Amino acid sequence: MRYLAVFFALALAIPSGVAAQTAEPAVPPSPADAFFDDSVVHDVFLNINSRDWQALKANALDNTYYPCDMRWRDQVVRNIGIRSRGTGSRSGSKPGLRVDFNRYTSDQTFLGVLKSFVLRNNTQDASTMHERISMLFFRRMGVTAPREAHARLFINNAYAGLYTIVESVDKAFLKRAFKEDGGHLYKYDYDATDKPWYFDSRGADPALYVPKPFKPETHEQDPRPEKIAALVDIVNHDSGAVFRRTIEPILDLAQFVRHIAVEIFLADKDGFNGDWGMNNFYFYRLENRELFRFIPWDKSEAFKDGPRYDIWHNIDVPSWLQNRLTGRVLDDAGLRRLFLDTLAECARSLSETDPGAPGDRRGWMEREVEREYAQVQEWAALAAEDRVNYSRDAFERDVENLRVFARERSQFVLDAVAKSR
Amino acid sequence: MLKPIALVIILVSALSGPVFGEQKNSTAKKAGEGEKPAELAWRYGGILKVNLDATFQTDLHGSYDGADLNAGLKPFALQRNRVGVQGTAFKHIEFEVTRDVTEKDVAEGRLAKSPWKDLNVNLTYFKRAQIQAGKFKIPFGLDALTGATRNDFVYRSLGGDYLAPGRGTGVMVHGKLLNRALSYSVGVFGDDGDNATTSKARGGDRTLAARVTGTPLRRISAGGLGRVEFGTAFALSGVSDDSDGSFMPKGLRGRTVVTSDAFFQPVYVNGRRARWEGDVHWAGGPADLRAEYTRVTDERRGQGYADENLPDVRYQSWYVRGTYFVTGDRRTRGAVQAVGRYERIWFDSVGGSDEPARTPRAETIFPNGDRVVTVGANVTLNRYMTIQLNVIREAVSDRDRNPVAGGAPFWSRVLRFQFAL
Repeated sequence: MRYLAVFFALALAIPSGVAAQTAEPAVPPSPADAFFDDSVVHDVFLNINSRDWQALKANALDNTYYPCDMRWRDQVVRNIGIRSRGTGSRSGSKPGLRVDFNRYTSDQTFLGVLKSFVLRNNTQDASTMHERISMLFFRRMGVTAPREAHARLFINNAYAGLYTIVESVDKAFLKRAFKEDGGHLYKYDYDATDKPWYFDSRGADPALYVPKPFKPETHEQDPRPEKIAALVDIVNHDSGAVFRRTIEPILDLAQFVRHIAVEIFLADKDGFNGDWGMNNFYFYRLENRELFRFIPWDKSEAFKDGPRYDIWHNIDVPSWLQNRLTGRVLDDAGLRRLFLDTLAECARSLSETDPGAPGDRRGWMEREVEREYAQVQEWAALAAEDRVNYSRDAFERDVENLRVFARERSQFVLDAVAKSR
Repeated sequence: MLKPIALVIILVSALSGPVFGEQKNSTAKKAGEGEKPAELAWRYGGILKVNLDATFQTDLHGSYDGADLNAGLKPFALQRNRVGVQGTAFKHIEFEVTRDVTEKDVAEGRLAKSPWKDLNVNLTYFKRAQIQAGKFKIPFGLDALTGATRNDFVYRSLGGDYLAPGRGTGVMVHGKLLNRALSYSVGVFGDDGDNATTSKARGGDRTLAARVTGTPLRRISAGGLGRVEFGTAFALSGVSDDSDGSFMPKGLRGRTVVTSDAFFQPVYVNGRRARWEGDVHWAGGPADLRAEYTRVTDERRGQGYADENLPDVRYQSWYVRGTYFVTGDRRTRGAVQAVGRYERIWFDSVGGSDEPARTPRAETIFPNGDRVVTVGANVTLNRYMTIQLNVIREAVSDRDRNPVAGGAPFWSRVLRFQFAL
């Protein structure tokens, strides 16, 4: 009953415009919803042996787990596991953390649902907002994406920096998003030292695709790598005459086009069509079906190249640098039109004014930036752990960049779309 | 792989025309061992006597379904390939050098157990106070002190393998008193033995160990009671979480018999490690009976989440075992010996007021243990070669840490071919 009361109280607190625009299907309330409530800045307390915390920071490149207790509001979870996480964002001064509730007790959950979540350190994002705004926009555009909220992290009751709570993409996420969790989930596992991959053929052997770069997150003992190998084979070898017909049953094309359109609209240079090959996504093959879907992940690099980020960035490039899947899909006239339509839809959504505030000329993103700024500005660059990565001035500058992006991106994209038709 | 096999062939061939002259007398009998078969020895007057020592053990084994994937169990394994010399110089200086021929691959950054097994001298100027120095077995545990080739089972008891210290480097005084009715050993060692060392971390620090065995009932002839030998030992060590520069949990671990699946991972310890064991041994004619109980506690000073002291972690084991020569005796070609052993090893904490948990810093450690039944037979092919067949049933009590899905007991079987000089 207490959770329900919290949920309803929070639901009322969410700005009506945002709630109305979110295109995800309605789901029954969950006790965990309050944990991802983005109308407040949360306080997360970790109680950890001081030597373990030192060791975790000193060995931030390792994935060693350390035990600790966690407290959030009146909820205490004992004997959980945390480890350093991230790729380029790994930090010994302000570690990004993966928090596992079932690391040591297989059936332990938090709020009855969550097995894990991520505390993103935002070391590559001075505003701390890139990720949260991006995921919110994905969801606004109807793309299933993790929920996020800002949080103050306290280590042994000492403030340790401003973080973002990120919903893990796991079975609990699948259940919430797809109403099923029995499918095959993979995380695209790209290391900074890996050679960029553009969905070109690595060969017919399924072992060339699983467990790396597609790391199984479910069905680890039966990851069915041949399904991914078959998809890659179609992308690289089927003729244009049959391509759409052969790929449509195994890849949700409309969802894929929407995924890459939103990424490009957000100027994400580290996504599916990123500057370093593919990166930052989960791949899910639905339960008892052949259909793959993409799930976005880690949008710290979004917005950085500003509002004039080319809508054909890394697409209108020599073929050997072009993502083969993106190239084949956009070669199809209908799908190319869908891509442009989606970009235009993104532009309209980003700059949509609040119908409940007729005098307010600001678009959705500009309002969202100000909402999040109001939440975090008191805490940004306050902790020494944060100031190692960015100063207060850098925070203000980056927030200003977001405001500019919010004001200028839509028109730039609409113009580019018009030129491309 | 081929090299040790070739070495076995060469040595077997050499038996038909030995380089060394055969000697019936043995020297440097190890504590706890029975009589050794005839040895290959070389003598230089009364000044120097050298015996060649070699052991080659090859196993064919299998266990639960999936053990090959879970535990990397291969059907065929060269278990032990060891050569060495032992002998006497100038009548009062005994020496022993034993080395593993093949070294297991050691992953980068992990500690390698030394291939040198025994490397020591024993001064016998005073029979009642002999001084042994170098690397040898720390005087603790009847089963642990029984040589691998003299053990009537393919594997030692789990307590002998994981709770007893094993080999260490140090100095020991030992001898027999009261007309050989009482034996004693007291030594100081640089660490607490290689059984406490894992591939990632060394175990305890400086160790004081002492063991006493005796036959207090020797004047009673009824029922063979006079042959009952009682033994007890203790060992005290320091343990800390960073003694070797690697901040790791340095508690003892529990692993299954054949597959070495870890059912109890080391916990963080700091303070004093105290070992104690008591044993009893009776041998009469073709029969041999033994029982042993071992108890180890580690302090956990400052190991809680708030750096508070935690209750001691406790490791315990016991076994009862019996063997019986159905035909012949140890030296008889074609002799058949039936063997059986029941043992238990378990891990918990001494007290604790909270909910038991499985983390390496749990205040109340979630108990876990393994109950093992081993039955089998040994067939002596000739004085050098033995075949051992063991069938082993294991039941790990904590379902979460049982290597078999569902927590069911599981069976293993192993056929060992042993060649020993």
